[in-house]
Amino acid sequence: MGLLTPSGGLLFWMTLAFAVVFLILAKFAFPIILGSVTKRKEFIDSSLDAAKVAEQKVADLQLQSEQIIADAEKEKVAILKEAATSRDRIVADASVQAQQEASRIIAEGRRQAEAEKEAILANARGEVAMLAVQMATKILRGNLSASEAQQALQENLADEIRES
Amino acid sequence: MILSRTYRILIVMLLALALPGASSFCAHAEDDAVTSAAIQPVSPVQTDSVSAHTGLEMPSDSAARADAAPMVAGIAPEAEPFNPKKMVMEHLADSYDWHITTFKGRHISIPLPVIVKSSTGWHVFMSNRITGGGTYKGLYIAKEGSHEGKIVEDVDGDQRRPIDISLTKTACGILVVCAIMLVLFLTAARAYKKRNEVDYCPKGLAGLLEWLIDSILDSVIKPCVGENYLKFAPYLLTAFFFIFCSNLLGLVPFFPGGANITGNIAVTLVLAVATFLAVNLFGTKEYYKEIFWPDVPVFLKAIPLMPVIEFIGIFTKPFALMMRLFANIMAGHSIILSISCIIFATAHLGAAVNGSMTAISVLFMVFMNCLELLVAFLQAYVFTMLSSVFIGLAQVKHEE
Amino acid sequence: MELSSVAAVLSAALAVFAAAFGISKIGKAAMEAISRQPESAGNIRTSMIIVAALIEGVALFAVVICFMAL
Repeated sequence: MGLLTPSGGLLFWMTLAFAVVFLILAKFAFPIILGSVTKRKEFIDSSLDAAKVAEQKVADLQLQSEQIIADAEKEKVAILKEAATSRDRIVADASVQAQQEASRIIAEGRRQAEAEKEAILANARGEVAMLAVQMATKILRGNLSASEAQQALQENLADEIRES
Repeated sequence: MILSRTYRILIVMLLALALPGASSFCAHAEDDAVTSAAIQPVSPVQTDSVSAHTGLEMPSDSAARADAAPMVAGIAPEAEPFNPKKMVMEHLADSYDWHITTFKGRHISIPLPVIVKSSTGWHVFMSNRITGGGTYKGLYIAKEGSHEGKIVEDVDGDQRRPIDISLTKTACGILVVCAIMLVLFLTAARAYKKRNEVDYCPKGLAGLLEWLIDSILDSVIKPCVGENYLKFAPYLLTAFFFIFCSNLLGLVPFFPGGANITGNIAVTLVLAVATFLAVNLFGTKEYYKEIFWPDVPVFLKAIPLMPVIEFIGIFTKPFALMMRLFANIMAGHSIILSISCIIFATAHLGAAVNGSMTAISVLFMVFMNCLELLVAFLQAYVFTMLSSVFIGLAQVKHEE
Repeated sequence: MELSSVAAVLSAALAVFAAAFGISKIGKAAMEAISRQPESAGNIRTSMIIVAALIEGVALFAVVICFMAL
């Protein structure tokens, strides 16, 4: 029974030592350590929560940006189409205008050419008339003594001139 | 070279455990062969000279006390047949000085203060006045009887124990463990105070202690105690580390280790009483109601059957805690000591038998020491877990 | 060869047998549970060690009594 009977002196020292250690540690050591540990755990938990919220936000933002990009794409397509149609339209207009211009120029050119032709013709008729007159003069001068053959020739010439 | 660093360190540690015992044994064997009164040529080592691998107390001390003749402290006694039981019992029990080793026949022990209140008043003196068998102011250590090994005085013709609050070996061990714990935890706490808690990741000692504290907190205290676990965490952590450090220190063969702290019933009694107080002083009203007037059919309540059982249960639970810790550690120490005794008990059977038994004994002792390391942690863990379970059960809330 | 020594040795043997029987049942159940669900091996191992420590506590109580009687 020797081992099973607690000895008084040891009970006293054990109680004293354990109580002192417990009080010191419970006052000075464990609150600090446990406080730091729980605070860090809370910080980690809140950081994790914040990270989760942030991730959610990032996902939302990503969705939004994708949405914006999709809209932009659509708009791009629409604008391109519009640009294409307007380009076609402008091109058509331009070609029409060009054609009109061209035809006008051609008409103008033709008119001018006609005018010039007329002018040239008129000039040429004038020259011819002058020549004829000169010829006639020469003929007249030369051959006043000419007879009816010459008169007939002059009348033929005049008829031909009139006919032409 | 071939072995990795860890294995080398492990082997050096185990040899360090083995060598002091072996050297003391050799010194003793030679010395006792010289001083043995009856020289027996067949058995030169037939003594009770032991210094076990745990390097604890010398049974020659007991032999010295057993002899009534006053001894000059330090010279080994006459040869006696080796008594394993006595040696084991001595190492497990308390003593008034701390025996370190025996060198060339001289006991090297640290005398511890004796604080006694006898019939002549208070006396404080160093124990080396009476460990050799001497008497001081009417006080001496009893050699036999019910107070064997303790300080007694003769009052009215019979031996009586005075009020004895000496600093025995176990008490000094307790003080050593308490000092270690205070140093460890206050250093760790200081590391936290100086820095920003949230960003700081502790390294070194604070990191190790935080890992241990955190694992105990998360795996044992928080799930078992429940909501207000932070209120009881300081006591539970103190108990865990006290038991763990005491168990570990009991396995170390050198001074200041080697004292059988938690293998002493008084120490575990105080721990169990502390748990008892923590459970019952802070128990809610619902807890007491469930003990004395539980929600059971009347025929179990009226003849006070359930209340009596529950009331006895209040005391048996801490009692089981006390016995479990005490028995585990005491059994572990006595197994290791008994295995080391095989060497000395077979010493007189000749070299071959002794050599082989020594080899077997060393191997088995290595295994037992490893098992005791596991038991050291496990018993602290189980004590803390059961205490937290009891505390958690006492914090029961009223359910609608 | 006192009766108390004989009684002590026999009861120590009985206590050891009882503890071995109890702990072996725990071990068997733990092995089966681990084989059924390998990923919970850590949890099961911890519980097994704790229950073994509790059983051992009771058995060692008997051993202590045997020590007294030895």
